[in-house]
Amino acid sequence: MDTSRSPSEASGFSRKLAATIIIVYMVVTLIPISWMVATSFKSVDSAISYPPEVFFEPSLEGYVNLFTNRSRQPKDYLDSLPPPDTWYEELVRSREMVITGPSKFLPRYSNSLIIGFGATFFSVFLGSLAAYALSRFKVPLKDDLLFFILSTRMFPPIAVAVPIFIMYRKLGLGDTHVGMIILYTVVNLSLSVWLLKGFMDEIPREYEEAAMIDGYSRMQAFFKVVLPQATTGIAATAIFCMIFSWNEYAFAVLLTQFNAQTAPPFIPTIIGEGGLDWPAIGAGTTLFLIPVMIFTVVLRKHLLRGITFGAVRK
Amino acid sequence: MKSAAKKFKGLSDKAIAWIFIAPTLILLLAINIYPLIYAIRMSFTNFYANKIGREVKFVGLKNYKKILGKEEIWEKMQITAHFVCWTLVLQALIGLGLALLLNKKFKGNELLTTLIVLPMMLSPAVVGVFWTYLYNPQVGLFNYVVNFFYDFGIFDMIGSSTLAPWSIVIVDTWMWTPFTMLICLAGLRSIPNYLYEAAEVDRASKWQQFIHITLPSVLPFLLLALLFRGIENFKMFDLVAELTSGGPGSATELASINLKREAFEKWKTGYSSAFAVILFVTIFGFGNVYVKVMNKIKDR
Repeated sequence: MDTSRSPSEASGFSRKLAATIIIVYMVVTLIPISWMVATSFKSVDSAISYPPEVFFEPSLEGYVNLFTNRSRQPKDYLDSLPPPDTWYEELVRSREMVITGPSKFLPRYSNSLIIGFGATFFSVFLGSLAAYALSRFKVPLKDDLLFFILSTRMFPPIAVAVPIFIMYRKLGLGDTHVGMIILYTVVNLSLSVWLLKGFMDEIPREYEEAAMIDGYSRMQAFFKVVLPQATTGIAATAIFCMIFSWNEYAFAVLLTQFNAQTAPPFIPTIIGEGGLDWPAIGAGTTLFLIPVMIFTVVLRKHLLRGITFGAVRK
Repeated sequence: MKSAAKKFKGLSDKAIAWIFIAPTLILLLAINIYPLIYAIRMSFTNFYANKIGREVKFVGLKNYKKILGKEEIWEKMQITAHFVCWTLVLQALIGLGLALLLNKKFKGNELLTTLIVLPMMLSPAVVGVFWTYLYNPQVGLFNYVVNFFYDFGIFDMIGSSTLAPWSIVIVDTWMWTPFTMLICLAGLRSIPNYLYEAAEVDRASKWQQFIHITLPSVLPFLLLALLFRGIENFKMFDLVAELTSGGPGSATELASINLKREAFEKWKTGYSSAFAVILFVTIFGFGNVYVKVMNKIKDR
């Protein structure tokens, strides 16, 4: 038996070599992300020093700059002010500036949350209804319908952005949360229908049939038997929809400006004085990326399925 | 079972099927298909979305003729093709290589896979922003590391028109190689062990096993991954918009970036709609041919 070795039971040496190469790749590929997180804890001066500083004195300047608007003031004006009350005012004061108010980061971030959660809820809710129907019932032209749902993903977003822009302007949905929630719901629907159909196909029909023999109606069987069975699948789908809405940029930059703008189009604009405020960009990036990283770890078992619309299930 | 099902109270299955599918269908028709038809209609006119009072005239195929006859558009298509081809080649090679290595099950395998996958889950626009920092000619880490190995002096990945097309290829490859890797890995894990055992009995060398068992089994998976990436990169907008925004000049002005400039900066709605239709038809056409070829390879 020992003579038959598949690649998955490779010899100790080749396994060690493979592990080494993979670890090196992992380290290299994570450098850009770690660098951005590290930059968020640098001072502005440290972020623009050359050669790049790997060891540095940590500072919260980036985060302070991210959350505040500041203006530069002459020294005698600063001296005339009462001493700063808080550590962040002190930090800003030491750069010869005063805080003029909160920045737009928090509203943009909360827009991302509101629109993300709203769109996720609706696309998963509507998606599970459609997926159940497509999984269980005879629907005329089912395959064409499924392909049609998928093909909506092939449009370049810019191609439909102009008509949607005009439509939204007429309907008063431009730059509104409702408008963006509807839009992201629709963009996510194709993914959620395809994924959820796959998950529901895996739930044996016998479960509902048994429930229906016990007196449940089809609707009751769906809500009380099928949906609870599909919880894992629904959760995975929801996280994928959330990540997509969270990361979406094209529609956000073209269709929103003041009211409903999400974080991705906003983060590039926090570059600050002289285009050098990299710690603030780093801080915005870090706060924006953390939820997605957590989600990725949570999702790891379903990643493959999600990124291939259920085409590869492992 | 069927006769029993009929006895149940409540809505008929057929009614439920339609009630369940209708909202999805209506939304897709309203927010996807209607705008597409709208765009196709506009593509035959000289409409400008910023000039509201102006009379809109039907101009027939003029927009299409103009686009297809324009040297500039073919340049954009070439830039797009350069981007798509190189990212696909690199992501296929590196992704497959990583998958082969990860398939040798070692300790911490799953954790490493999850960590490697991280870049592709991030927001492309935000990735674009922070790579402008890494690429910064004066203080960027990327430039420092390159100079550490070979002294090129100061070079500007984003600012030079010869390097910029490669700067977007590098970032896209960094970001999306895990995608091909994951899918190839699924392919490798689906190969039953007995195939290798049988090959061992026949005294096939490792190399022969790779060529005759591993590669043909993983190929359909690799092709599927490349289909997804090909479509996405042909439509590429967000990452490049924030990384180079098409520049310097128009060195990295991919089709979608050009489309955005025509549609949302010059407001040539009719003209840009025609270009959008051309792009969509191209993606759809390529996609269909590719799927046919892919299925043929799978059947073999």
